[in-house]
Amino acid sequence: MPALTPDIVPGLVAGGASCRMDADVAPRFKVGDRVTARNVNPLSHTRLPRYIRGKTGIVARDHGVFAFPDTSVCGVHSDPQHVYSVRFEADHLWGEHANANSSLYIDLFDDYLDLA
Amino acid sequence: MNGIHDMGGMQCMGPIEREENEPAFHEEWEGRVFGMFFTNFAEGHFNVDMFRHGIERMGPAEYLETSYYEHWLHSFETLLVERGVLAEGELEEKIASLREAGG
Amino acid sequence: MAHDHAHNAPPSDTAMRVKALETLLTEKGLLDPAAIDALVDTYENRIGPRNGAKVVARAWTDPEYKKRLLENGTDAIAEFGFSGVQGEDMVVVENTEDVHNIVVCTLCSCYPWPTLGLPPIWFKSAPYRARTVIDPRGVLEEFGVELSEDIEVRVWDSNAELRYLVLPQRPAGTEGMSEDELAGLVSRDSMIGTALADAPAG
Repeated sequence: MPALTPDIVPGLVAGGASCRMDADVAPRFKVGDRVTARNVNPLSHTRLPRYIRGKTGIVARDHGVFAFPDTSVCGVHSDPQHVYSVRFEADHLWGEHANANSSLYIDLFDDYLDLA
Repeated sequence: MNGIHDMGGMQCMGPIEREENEPAFHEEWEGRVFGMFFTNFAEGHFNVDMFRHGIERMGPAEYLETSYYEHWLHSFETLLVERGVLAEGELEEKIASLREAGG
Repeated sequence: MAHDHAHNAPPSDTAMRVKALETLLTEKGLLDPAAIDALVDTYENRIGPRNGAKVVARAWTDPEYKKRLLENGTDAIAEFGFSGVQGEDMVVVENTEDVHNIVVCTLCSCYPWPTLGLPPIWFKSAPYRARTVIDPRGVLEEFGVELSEDIEVRVWDSNAELRYLVLPQRPAGTEGMSEDELAGLVSRDSMIGTALADAPAG
């Protein structure tokens, strides 16, 4: 018997499957902290894009605790940790070719960051 | 992984092509692939990270030449074989038998 | 119609591949085709950018709602019954006189399904994913949005599990309009950030 039948579809669509985890994990950073994205090059899954690695930004918001994609890719939601919206200035990311008066916000996991 | 999917900041990819009044699905098979994400997920064949990684592991040329829902299909095939839900070659045999039966 | 076409012409290789996969999984008892029918119907007919437009129009007319929306997007959007897959954790970002927001997913094509439906092809395309982070003003110009350099452009790369909705600015000359009329000015693209809300007719 298939797990997903038509009668379950509306509930699944409306309920979703959040990757938020109910875990008591302390944040390593707070809003306003200057943080640098780690320069890592894992061969497996990560949600830390290349253009952010090694760059420094400011924590703008703490979104709470989520499963860590880099380990959850092995099959089970794992390594719950805080995710932060981090603000980067465009000229820091792109140098002299950056757009004027522009910034970038990206959501980064605790394990992607160090204090600058 | 430093794959082709990690596109932020790449240049000279051409214009952004837009379509007016775009339908949710352009072909019937796209809707079937879309739905199979949910059925496969509900069966416990993968989580969203495994699914994304299945796309990221596509060859770069194939990744660029195929569409969004073809990426999804590729990931399903990779994961279902890796997890033993499908045997190697089983899908190709089914395609051949469907073609023989007249599509 | 794609469906009729499938019966009149030989199916493409991809269509045949998909059919074979669905058939195999159905035979193994791992897939109910009627569930897929229900999902296709849901995303073709029930979920789309009209949902997000209602949220925006409410925020334009109800300051208390707007406050809730910007503080906790997920809960405020759920007041309309819009929730679930790819909208589990929502953030709403507001365009103002000084700030214009634009959303992209550079790593795949993450998109807030409950409020905007499924993403258009351009949002999933390589050029949009590549260029928006490095040249957002150039992308906006391509979409016909020219912003002065006094306005800060904020790009949101939705690479984790948060999904973003842009709250566009309410257009001038809409003071007397009802919430329903206002919702008619809110295009999909204005909630991604590649357009402004439409000006009222006349």
